[in-house]
Amino acid sequence: MMEMLHEIFSTGLRNSVYVSLLIGLVCPLIGNYLVLRRLIFMGVALPQISSCGIAFAFALHAWHLVPHLDDSSENALAFGGSTLFTLAALFVLTLLQRRSAGLADTRVGAAYVLAGAFSILLLVKNPYGEHGLLDRLRGEIIAVSDADLMMTAVAFGIVTTVLIVFRKEFLLVSFDPEMAITLRKNVFTWDGLLFLLIGITVSMSVLSVGPLVTFGFLLLPPLIARALARNMRQFAFTGCIVGMVSAFVGFYLAYRWDVPVGPTDVALLGVIYLIVSLLKRVFRRRRPRQSSAA
Amino acid sequence: MNEQNIAELQGVAVGYDRHAVLSGIDLQIARGTFTGLLGANGSGKTTLLKTIAGILPPVNGRIIFHSPAVLGYVPQRDQLDSVYILSAFEVALMGVCGRIGAGRSIPREDHECVHECLRQTGADGFARQRFSELSGGQKQRVLIARALATQADFLLLDEPTAGIDAAATQAILELLVKLHRERNLTLLMVNHDLAAVRQTAQQIIWIQNGKLVQGPVNELLRREKIEEILNLQFS
Repeated sequence: MMEMLHEIFSTGLRNSVYVSLLIGLVCPLIGNYLVLRRLIFMGVALPQISSCGIAFAFALHAWHLVPHLDDSSENALAFGGSTLFTLAALFVLTLLQRRSAGLADTRVGAAYVLAGAFSILLLVKNPYGEHGLLDRLRGEIIAVSDADLMMTAVAFGIVTTVLIVFRKEFLLVSFDPEMAITLRKNVFTWDGLLFLLIGITVSMSVLSVGPLVTFGFLLLPPLIARALARNMRQFAFTGCIVGMVSAFVGFYLAYRWDVPVGPTDVALLGVIYLIVSLLKRVFRRRRPRQSSAA
Repeated sequence: MNEQNIAELQGVAVGYDRHAVLSGIDLQIARGTFTGLLGANGSGKTTLLKTIAGILPPVNGRIIFHSPAVLGYVPQRDQLDSVYILSAFEVALMGVCGRIGAGRSIPREDHECVHECLRQTGADGFARQRFSELSGGQKQRVLIARALATQADFLLLDEPTAGIDAAATQAILELLVKLHRERNLTLLMVNHDLAAVRQTAQQIIWIQNGKLVQGPVNELLRREKIEEILNLQFS
């Protein structure tokens, strides 16, 4: 095992491991709010929309609107497309939800399926983008340059810092927005900031590991953490630990068995979730039920 | 304008998305009074309460508050999602967030203030329990403590006794009367229950068929007056 780890860390895969660990740390922190606000469908649709943004950015080459760039500039272009699409979708979907126009779930579902279809259509005749994005869709290991690793670390560092510093405000506007208004908190601004952090995280993550893995890390660690945690701090902390451990062990197993990293990570998270759910059920049966007085 | 009033509504229309549910509202809420807000389902009681609380913008007109007028809002407890892993204390602690700057941690003395509010509402015994696992009456005590933690002068309560058993309802009403008396709070309470309002309130605002009637309890809750108000719908 140590030999294999040494092999991973002494090759170009080292940066991919670091990026996986960063995604395992930050996606659950953001995913917590998607779970708490019951925006899980948004968590499915956003990575897909983000992928569509990347496909669109790559398509700009095929349409000769943007010259062919070096790898680093191409990644920046893809990140731009991904972020633009994600933030635009977040803005439109939340605006429509705020105005209570139509059914929220159907809108998000429609956005998901349309983003998936357009991603394929944009890529199918694009020799520049097809290879890179299909790798991401499958959750293959993507070679990560030092510059990309640095960009991811800085972006995720900012996201994590803002989430920690303003956790009181984010929790208040998520739990009881009406109360927040009576306390003269600008709910619209705080929601906007939270959605901006969600958009940046999803875009960065999809760019590195693709939509499947991004959604897996947004959803499963918070679900596992919620089953184990006794308060909000434990909820956030446990999600991050589960995310990082799964990212690392998943990477190791995928390397060892020569299978794609992303699906291995998600499958591992699924196994952990199953075990935790079963254990919780067993312990709940054994524990005597407590009565609560009126 | 009368400085003895804590709030005045002048030509206010309330509703959603610029569509007025109630219009032409002129009301005065006197400082230190306990007012019951009565009306049938869908009459606009909660919409009016939320507009006074600033949660909904008035469709028309203006609402004037005479300082000091710090609002303490007590929502319907069922609108708070049980997915959050929050203790009763943490929920009550949210009440102090209005006076703490963004990104700053809550000072120790505010923790003490919240403990005191929980003690006053009889909720200190279950402060460490998970909020979502409390009974309806217990949750209501915690939400009242949270509103007190804002250091409110004016409490706005949205159906605080809805869906609670008779004993817990009585306990909540007695708590509200005690808080009103001891803290000289102004209370505006939405309620369906005539008996509960008769027991606690001094003033009544009654919404019937889009019209508001305001007056003292002993005048508006006379049998003949109730019949007169309810007959509005047949006239």
